[in-house]
Amino acid sequence: MANLHDIRRRIKSVKNTAQITRAMQLVAASKMKRAQDAALASRPYAELLARILAPVAKGVMNFSHPFLEEGRSNARCIVILSTDRGLCGSLNANLFRELPPRTQEIKYITVGRKAAQFIGRTQRDLIADFAISDKFKFPEVRVVIDFAIKAFEDGSVGSVDVLYPRFVNTLRQVPRMVPLLPLAGIQEMLESLGIDKGAQDERELNFEPSVEVILTDLLPLYVRRQFYSMVRGTKASEHSARMVAMKTATDNANNLADNLTLDYNKARQAAITQEILEIAAATAANEN
Amino acid sequence: MALKLEIVTPLEKVYSEEVDSVTLPTTTGEIGVLPGHIPLITEVKEGELGVIRLGELDLLAVDKGFAEIFGDTVSVITEAAIDIEDIDLDSAEAAQRRAEEALRKAKEENLHPDEVEALEAKIRFALVQQLAKKKGK
Repeated sequence: MANLHDIRRRIKSVKNTAQITRAMQLVAASKMKRAQDAALASRPYAELLARILAPVAKGVMNFSHPFLEEGRSNARCIVILSTDRGLCGSLNANLFRELPPRTQEIKYITVGRKAAQFIGRTQRDLIADFAISDKFKFPEVRVVIDFAIKAFEDGSVGSVDVLYPRFVNTLRQVPRMVPLLPLAGIQEMLESLGIDKGAQDERELNFEPSVEVILTDLLPLYVRRQFYSMVRGTKASEHSARMVAMKTATDNANNLADNLTLDYNKARQAAITQEILEIAAATAANEN
Repeated sequence: MALKLEIVTPLEKVYSEEVDSVTLPTTTGEIGVLPGHIPLITEVKEGELGVIRLGELDLLAVDKGFAEIFGDTVSVITEAAIDIEDIDLDSAEAAQRRAEEALRKAKEENLHPDEVEALEAKIRFALVQQLAKKKGK
């Protein structure tokens, strides 16, 4: 059994660690609340936009817009939304596991340092990396999505997908690959996200003032807002995952400290018993 | 048969109720919507959106956006919306002045077009609020 001094030192260091992880847990918890509220509040807007567009994408074959057509290039573009910092459990690792095998040409755009590092390390084709702060507003996100839209429009990539951790609840974040451009897959996307398609109406859909006017404005708005909502979800996932990871770390450290304290007490008791035995033996020897 | 009205902004779901009828300000003029309206997607202009609910008229100020009328559901998607009851004239005026000030500075310093656009939207919505409030009085 290790000596008393060593055990005491370990208890102290474990307790210190627990204190630090607990502080990080509290910080993440307060950020998490804000990020979750924002993520959930931004969802109805994006979902409603998608719902409005769903019949449009299906029904308007005589209207052509670059966003609705198959891209000219075979290269895919994947935008990965990750975190800047680690200590958030397996959030990023789970995300990277979803990346497709390298059988075709794929270009990557990353948000957050972790994804940029991963893409660099695995020697994939990184065309741009961006950083989005915790308290971001729409313009910060717009830069990223406009870059992807530009790549799609000038034909250097044929499709744009977004890979991000979708926020389900504090304990669950699911990595999801969502096709963003072209918009032909909007119906599948609605289904994959489990969005209610709303009311049904068999009559013909009308547009005012005209299909062209509506769609020219609506399509870019939709793409940008959908992406914005995904970034919101990523932030909520990040802080949730970090909060949970730090809570687990704190609990583990406390358990370890408890076990060590038990060991410490046992060792102390053993030492005392040993001492008494020695004294008793010595006394007995003297009396003889 | 009741009509369902939803008004959603990027920040929150502002309105979600069963109503009797809705008047939408659109780029091609005001349109009134009653249950059984044909399916329609239209562009909403900044202005006042009227709702008749349980026989009472309720006005909301909305920013520009889109509206979808589909199977007795009216979904309005806009950048901002507020009930006229909740508009505070002073704060709307103050918001307008602040935004105009920021916009002037932004133009001098050649700020990013996105920022300018955001400020212009703020001014637009502040103006709509004031107009709607004054008219509602």
